[in-house]
Amino acid sequence: MLKNYFKIAIAVLRRRKFFTFISLFGISLTLTVLMVLTAFIEKLTNPVYPGDKNNRSLYITRLTYTSKKGWINSSGSSFYFLTHYAGSLKTPVKMAIVSSNSSSNAYVNNKKVVIDIRYTNAHLWDVANYQFIEGKPYTIDQINRADRVAVISERTRNEYFGEGATVVGKFIEADNINYRITGVIKNVPELEEVFYANMYLPYTVSKKDYRDKGFQGDYSAVLLAPSEQLLEKMRAEYEQMTARIPLPDKAFDTLHSNADTYFETYSRPFFGKADNNGYVRFIVFISLFVLLFMLLPTVNLVNVNITRIMERSSEIGVRKAFGASSKTLVYQFIIENIILTILGGIIGIILTVIILQVINRSGLIADLDLTVNPIVLLYSLLACLFFGLLSGVYPAWRMSRLNVVTALKAQ
Amino acid sequence: MIKHLFKLIWNKKKQNFLLITEMFISFLVIFAVFTSLVYYYRNYKKPMGFSYDNVWVINYQNAKKFQSTDSVTQYYATLTAMLKSMPQIKALSFASGNVPFTSSMNTTGLSYKGVSYSPVNYYQTGDGYRDAFSMNLLEGRWFNQQDVVSTYRPVVINASLKEQLFGNGSAVGQLISDNSNSSIKKIKIIGVVQDMKDKGDYLPSGMALYNRIDTGAMRWLGQLIIKVSPDADAAFESKLYKTVANYMKDASVEIQHFSKKRISTNKSTLVPITIFCIVAAFLIINVSLGIFGVLWYNINRRRAEIGLRRAVGATGNSVSAQLIAESLILATLSVIIGTFFAVQFPLLNVFNLQAGIYITAMLLAIVFIYLLVLLCSLYPGRQAAAIYPAVALHEE
Repeated sequence: MLKNYFKIAIAVLRRRKFFTFISLFGISLTLTVLMVLTAFIEKLTNPVYPGDKNNRSLYITRLTYTSKKGWINSSGSSFYFLTHYAGSLKTPVKMAIVSSNSSSNAYVNNKKVVIDIRYTNAHLWDVANYQFIEGKPYTIDQINRADRVAVISERTRNEYFGEGATVVGKFIEADNINYRITGVIKNVPELEEVFYANMYLPYTVSKKDYRDKGFQGDYSAVLLAPSEQLLEKMRAEYEQMTARIPLPDKAFDTLHSNADTYFETYSRPFFGKADNNGYVRFIVFISLFVLLFMLLPTVNLVNVNITRIMERSSEIGVRKAFGASSKTLVYQFIIENIILTILGGIIGIILTVIILQVINRSGLIADLDLTVNPIVLLYSLLACLFFGLLSGVYPAWRMSRLNVVTALKAQ
Repeated sequence: MIKHLFKLIWNKKKQNFLLITEMFISFLVIFAVFTSLVYYYRNYKKPMGFSYDNVWVINYQNAKKFQSTDSVTQYYATLTAMLKSMPQIKALSFASGNVPFTSSMNTTGLSYKGVSYSPVNYYQTGDGYRDAFSMNLLEGRWFNQQDVVSTYRPVVINASLKEQLFGNGSAVGQLISDNSNSSIKKIKIIGVVQDMKDKGDYLPSGMALYNRIDTGAMRWLGQLIIKVSPDADAAFESKLYKTVANYMKDASVEIQHFSKKRISTNKSTLVPITIFCIVAAFLIINVSLGIFGVLWYNINRRRAEIGLRRAVGATGNSVSAQLIAESLILATLSVIIGTFFAVQFPLLNVFNLQAGIYITAMLLAIVFIYLLVLLCSLYPGRQAAAIYPAVALHEE
């Protein structure tokens, strides 16, 4: 039976080539846009490198004071705040502490090299999975001795020393200070708000005093739970703890410091506030956008489909006259439509692969490697089915209500 | 004639309903595209208001501990003198973080004669700031050494803020109140400068208030703007970097060029809008193909009717005119519904854009939809005109 439907569908597609082209064009382009979008979102929400333990990590990025008068003061946290308060939690096994990016210049052979620097503790190397091309990270001992040691990225190595040079043990100059290189890592995409840098240095060599007792500063922390199941427990523990922290500044009456999942570090600044992680709002916003975006191609497809069905009124009339029920006809037509959308989907996937390659090569966002992975493919197939049903149901319903007599007479 | 066409459309309301829906949604998409394009184009047409060529910024985060305000002043005065002695440096000024082409913003509220104005961009600038950026002074003067002793805090405002506050009147010498923080302070306007599009070529400057840096602010400032002569090259930049980094031992230092910052700022505005336009263009191509297909098919179904009209004496042109008019009426219906929704944007003041932008965009969208429908129905209309009455009636 299905085989028969398939044959009919292919025959119909080949009959009116122009209409087939319109349908396939619309479906494949809509799906391409959706797939490129999901590839971006997927990259943002589920990065593989270097945050491969993101499903058991919580990020503490902002520290915000609010007052009932409407004043807001938001910044990173201080090293003291993170070690003293976040460091007192029982659940986490490791806590990486990383400063915000600061840029510095180096001049090599009269060429400027821009270096983004972060100061870190030693746990960073365990929490995030940096891939070392050469050498190894600096150790706790080196940090405690305030050794001037550095881990640099592949890009900085290439710009500073030349492509493919061996550099461990050599010195690199930034801010007029020489640092000895202990390791070189594979480049991290700039989208990684906490993990990205070109040069990592021990927090003890930072020019700012990390012992400062203020709560606000420019550090972030990543808490690593022993397992995924304990993530929520860790979050609850952090919430209880922050509620008890005495406020240092009387001008404000609430302190907000949240331990967020990786995804929430994106949704909170855009869709939430200090006391709302914006997750739900983000999902609602994205779904609304996708629905609105798909509305136009769907209406177009419904329109084209109805036209095509009316063309086949004689066929429908004959089938009905010989006793086919409305249900069978609706079923057949929806199957045909799904076959059409899946065809469009395949073209869409090919287009997506091409477009993602172009985006990756263009260097629009440095070190971003967008790929069509199984998850994206699954989403797109789901979108395909949804699209096929959406644009097939109404025409099929209209068709099944055709009167046998009129359908036959139209010929 | 029109009444008759309406009757024809009404008779096929189910089929036409879908077409109208499609055109209506396209109208909204086009309206959104044109609104943003008109907005960016209007900003782009405005003059830049300053010059960024050969202007650099030195970003520094100084962790040095100072004993007193005097020592801060002394520390930076030495640096200034050192830099001024370099022949390549033409002008220099310290500044707050919101220098041109950065995402950093600092705003305040002003009040004048009981009316509040906000947000007003708030800049901390030095005496050399105007020279460094070659800003155009429209009225009054820029800051100088005399301002240290003035009774009221002297400020320079931009043309947009002046227009809001005083319209066409003179601004220099007027007193206004700064509502920042809890204490309200009287400030005195000493000059008006042309709007400076410092957020990029495609974004508006907004209202701006320039303040003279006082000695207390030097502790936390982190930007030094310098104008260099055209012959300053990478070798000079490297020398400059060494000098500054050596002097500020406790700071991390970075030099950036405004011409490069401008390119990346513009890119971050243009990339999203370009993607948006490309997606919208594909949607529209998709829709136009759809409309074209449906109209074409409809005409084929109406061969008998057309043949009959031809047989009783209608010319080919009048037949195609009728079909085109029918689709244009459909377009009119959807444009009317679309305009009803689009008008809500300026009426409810959504997104705080000027009404003129919405109206221009609306007119452009209306013209666009008509052109689109006209183009899609021209070929089917021609086809209909070519129908021979004998052939068409014979088929029947």
